[in-house]
Parts: sequence; C-alpha cells; structure tokens
Amino acid sequence: MNFLSRLVVDGAYFLNTSEAYQRKKRFFYDILENDRFQYKKYFDIFMITLIFSSVIILIVEVKSEMNIYLKFFNVYVISFIFFVEYILRFWISSSVSEIIISRSEHATALGRKFYLYKAIIGVITAKLSFVFSIKAIIDLLAILPFFHELRLLRLFVLFRVFKLFRYTKSFQTFTSVLSTKKFEFFILLMFSSVVIFVSSVLIYVMEAHNPASPVNTFFDALYWSIVTISTVGYGDIVPVTTEGRIVAAFVIIAGISVLAFTTSIIVSAFTEKLDEIREIKTIDNIRKLKHFYLICGYESVAQEVAKKLKNSKITIIVLDEDIERINSAKKDGLIAINYDPGNIDSYKKIGIDLNTQVESILCLRENDVENVYTTLTVRSISRDVNIISLLMDDANRNKLKFAGANEILYPKGLVGMISKELIGRPVAFEVIHALRNDYYGVDVEEILVDERMSQNLVHVSELNNVKFRIVLLGIYKKETKRFFFNPMDGTLLESGDYLLVIGNSAFIREFEKHLHKKIRT
Amino acid sequence: MKNRAALIFGYNDYALEIAKNIRDEYENVYLYSLNSEYDILKNKSGFEIKSFDLSDKWDELNENIDIEKSIAFCVLEDSAENIFLTISLRSSFDALNIIALSNNKQTANKLQMAGANKVIPLVQTTAEMISEMLQKPIVKEVFHNILFESGTLKIAQVKIDENNKYIGEAISDIDWSRRYGVMILAIVYEDMSTEFIYSSKIKHHIVNKNDLFIIVGYEADMKEFEKMTGSICD
Repeated sequence: MNFLSRLVVDGAYFLNTSEAYQRKKRFFYDILENDRFQYKKYFDIFMITLIFSSVIILIVEVKSEMNIYLKFFNVYVISFIFFVEYILRFWISSSVSEIIISRSEHATALGRKFYLYKAIIGVITAKLSFVFSIKAIIDLLAILPFFHELRLLRLFVLFRVFKLFRYTKSFQTFTSVLSTKKFEFFILLMFSSVVIFVSSVLIYVMEAHNPASPVNTFFDALYWSIVTISTVGYGDIVPVTTEGRIVAAFVIIAGISVLAFTTSIIVSAFTEKLDEIREIKTIDNIRKLKHFYLICGYESVAQEVAKKLKNSKITIIVLDEDIERINSAKKDGLIAINYDPGNIDSYKKIGIDLNTQVESILCLRENDVENVYTTLTVRSISRDVNIISLLMDDANRNKLKFAGANEILYPKGLVGMISKELIGRPVAFEVIHALRNDYYGVDVEEILVDERMSQNLVHVSELNNVKFRIVLLGIYKKETKRFFFNPMDGTLLESGDYLLVIGNSAFIREFEKHLHKKIRT
Repeated sequence: MKNRAALIFGYNDYALEIAKNIRDEYENVYLYSLNSEYDILKNKSGFEIKSFDLSDKWDELNENIDIEKSIAFCVLEDSAENIFLTISLRSSFDALNIIALSNNKQTANKLQMAGANKVIPLVQTTAEMISEMLQKPIVKEVFHNILFESGTLKIAQVKIDENNKYIGEAISDIDWSRRYGVMILAIVYEDMSTEFIYSSKIKHHIVNKNDLFIIVGYEADMKEFEKMTGSICD
C-alpha cells in the first residue's frame, strides 16, 4: 500500500473510531431521518414552516413588489438553511470511511492489493446514488434560486413545495401504496398514450382544414385530446365537423374507461394495503410509548387480564400470531399486532426496546409449549425484562423457569389452594378477596416512601394514618425484602420502603397526598 | 356409620390439586370419574376413584356419606356437564356444601343458579392474580403468604362467645393491634353481612355475642389473643 493509500485508510479508521465524529453524525442522522428520534418532529415542523413562508412570499411577489427584507429572507436565509440541510443529507447518506475500510479489509482478507481509486469509485457511486435520488433532486432544485436570481429560475421556488413531501409521511405512504401497482399504471399509460395520439391525429386531420374549427395546429389537437380523455372538457376547443364529433364521441368513451380504470387501480391498491398501512401506523404509535405491558397470546385469561389492566395508566399491547384473536383484541379496544410473539423478528419489526419500554411481558397462551418458546425468545433479546407466564401443566414448571420466566402462575394449583381456604376459613378468605378487589369501597394499597417523604417522616408514629381512618397493615422493607406486620411507632421509615395500607379508597388517596405534602417542622 | 368426606367430581388436574390441598381436612377424599375404568388404571394419585354418571340417583352417597358435614367439588371440564351435575347434587341434597369451578362468567352465573354454594371463577381469579402481580406486587405477596403459605403471619376468624369481656364495648375503643399485636380486618355479623373495620358505620358498633372478627397477626400473638378473648375458628 502506498503512502497516500495508507494515509486515506488511516484517516478512515480514525473517523470510524472517533466517538465525537460518530456522535455528531448520529445526531444529524436522527434529526433528519430517524422517525423515532424525539426531536425530529420539531425539525420537520420548522422546515415545513420555512417552506410555507417561502411559498407565501412567492405568491405575494407574483403581483406586488416584495419588501426587501422578506425578499432577502426568502432568497438567502431560507435557501441557505435548505443548502445546509442538503449538505447534511449528503453527508449522512453513506459513510465514506466505512466504504474505504471495507474495501481495504476486503483486499487484505483476500491477499490482494488495495487500490485507492477503486475505493474512491465506491464512495462516488454511493454519493451519486443520493444525488440522483428524486428527493435529493427536489432538494437541490429548491436551493437553486440562492445561486441564480434569473426570472426563469424563480419558478424553481415551486420545487420548495415539493420539498413538503419529504416531511409529510402520509404522502410517502400514498406513493408507496401506488408504487405497488406500477404494472397497472404502465398499462394505463400505454393505453391513454395510444388513444391520445390516435385521437389527436384524427381530430387534426378532420378539423384542421376547416376555417371555422378552433383546431389549427397539431398541438391544439393534442391539447383537445388530453382535456377530453381526462373528462375535464374545458370547451375552449370543440370539434365543428361531423367527423370530428364522431372522433370526440370515441375519445369521451375512452376517457370514461381511463378514469374508471385509474380509480379502480387506486382503490384496489389501498384496499390491499389498508391492513399494512394500519399496522405501520400502529407500530409507529407503539414506538412512541414510554411504558406498556406486552401480552403475548390473547386467549380467555389474557382477555380478563387486559380488562383489569385497562384502568391502569399503562397501555396494553397485544401480540398474537392468530388473526382472529388479534381482531378480538382490537374489538376490546386494545392495540394489537398480528405478529408471532415467539419470533425474534417480530420484536425487531416493531422496534421496541424491551428493557426500557416494556414494564412486563405476559405470556398468556393456554399452551405451555408456546409460553416456553415465547419466554425463551424474549429472554434471548433482553435479560432484564420481567416475564410473567401462565403454566397449564405443573410438569412444565421447570422448563418455564429454565426459559427465564420471573413469575409463573399455575391456575390449577391456585384452585387447589383456594379450595383449601374455602373449607378452612371461608369467611376470612372472602374478606381478603373482597379487600383485594375493592368490593366495599375498601381497598388495600402500597405507598412508596420516596426520598422526600423519608426526610420529612422519620418514624411510623409520624404518619398520622389514624386521622385518615387508614390502617397500616405493615411495612415492606426494600433493603431486607421483608414485610413487617403491624410496625411499632418507633419503626424507622426509609426511602424505598412500601407502606401497605387498608382503608376507604378516597381516604387512601387523601392520606397519600398528605404524606407527599408533609414537611418536617 | 356415615363418613364425613370430600367428594370431588371429575378426574383431572384440578381435582387432583384440590384433593392434595384438602386431604388433611377430611378423613375421606373420594374422586368421582365419569370414565372410572380408564382412570383407575392410570391412577397414581393415591386417592380412591369411584365411578358415577350424570343420571345417578346418588343412593350410595345417601347411604354412606354424612352429607351435612361433607363437601362436594364439581370440577368437570365440560361446563354443561358440570352444571348438570351441580343441579343433580343440589336436587338430591339440600344440605350439601357444593363448590363448583367455572371457566367464564356466564357459567359461573348458571352454576350459582344450579345451586352451588360457592363458585370459583377460574379465568377471573387467575387474571386477578396476574393483574395484582403487576400493579400491587407487595400486596399480592403478603396476602398470598397470609392465605396460602405456612408463614408466621396468619389470618383467622374469632367468634365472640357469651363470656367475652369485650361484649358491650364500642369497637372504636378497642385497640388490639397495640395490646395483642393482632389487627381486625372486618366483622361479620350474625346475619353474615360483612363490615370492614375501616368503614364509618363500624365506629359505633357495639361488640355482640356471635360477632365474627376477621383478624390478622403473628401465630404467637394469635394464641395469646385466643386465651384472652374467644375462640379462634381456624
């Protein structure tokens, strides 16, 4: 490798490993391209505002003299911002350093000589593919008035309107849906072109010799054909001869079929893609959520759990590979996606962060094989996410534990334990059951002792719970993970402890407010 | 002589779990199967399996079982059969305590109409447990330990007998939590209506004979409390 090549490759490695450089590039990538980046929407709004201002200035300028400052703002300031944006997009579109490194490593691995010019060609190809993309061309045309103040070029300001498409997702969806019908549109275009050409020729031949006819040139004939076939029919050019009118009748009929064909292509494209569009929208919404419960499998237990959790502040997302169960979840008002919870790709497609976004994953299929599989899949992605799983056969308990479930619920065992209580202490059991389910307006709650609370309330005696008719059942000590029932007045309150209180739901809320407001005197 | 027994109808995992949990409470635990020949062959549970069919007139039960002191669990997997069985038992035995298992709310209502004393709504109970695990994990753990585990913290029912020294005292004047280390959760009156200790009505309640107090406390404190007050019916 010669000196220059060595220098370029070293430079590429330097850039690729430079944290500051990569962080900056990542930031600009996020703000320009990453829909999940929280600040991207503000950037988009800013750019849309600039585009609208620019277009409004242009419209006003058509018939009246523009204020010099506004003109300066439109021609220089906005154009400069667009120019900076274009350069940034050009920069982030591909990584020069990565292309050079990959070429160099490829050559080394195969024991071949590294040619710098080949790497440069690779870089140029990558950058040109950006430059010649439709979006980049529009971006560039939107900047042109900055360089030229020629009257004709000012029309290019209209390209700024096209720039809007970059920031409007619905338009991108629209074009992506229509692009699925490329073949049909091609056929339509061919058919329309033939009809327009033939009818233009015919109408020109039939009408051009007649002095009373408005069709004087072939362009007039072409214009008339397009206006007629589109079923717009301005009426500024009309055939006057009988032959011309016969041609017109055929063109009108062809126009109706073109219109019907176009409509049916668009409608069928949307019908076919409707579910996909909805799914994309749903996934977008899920990505924006900060916390949610993920229910894997929507069967009877899952349905009940969802009902109970619906009132909590945390959103519930349902994943199931069965479309009928997904439809049932949607009917129940839940956000549901028809993905297999046992497949790693499902989580990649949704693009959620299991560690930060998901509060708990509930494997609630009434089938141990599925639950073990889902648990293992989730655990292979995240070691920390809390997994609760249903167990249908006690023989599979160890498998679920081994797969990584944090908590296992075995309904059959639960029935056995409840039965024992029902014959031993039926009244006590009913009382606890009623208490847990807030049947008489009396509830049991856990109140977290936060840092502030622990500074203002040192001992249990300071809680003043009796005043609120609240019973302190006990304290759960975070440090020792032990529950202290009926704590003595002198028991110390520490940050992270939980108070288990029983009382009227409204009184508990008041008591909690009191604890947060309380200031040590 | 007639037996006091637990009669579990249905031979499945539910039945076996129930049998395991109540075997200490009843001298006889019988599992009744609709397909007894097959079930007896594969039975490794150690419980006696008897056969029955839904058209049974229960003559054998009438002859050998002390119905008033016995309990029946209807845990057939088919909901319609389970409801039919419950009706059949209730129509034959007024005094039999019947606990039935239901898979959904609709079946639960029908089982209650069929005469079950208590219905365990399986799906609902499981869902309640899961939602509590998520929303109130400490409450779940504490109550689970109190009810189902053999820890030192217990729940008990205390019946106030006629010699109880607290009869005639207002409930608001009694502070058993500091004196005996036990906490009253609720009072069940003679008419079986329940009142939680935290409701405003109960403040003025005067302790009566036959009031049933639901208390929570450590085992040792409970024993002390029993000596001082009335009988603990555990």
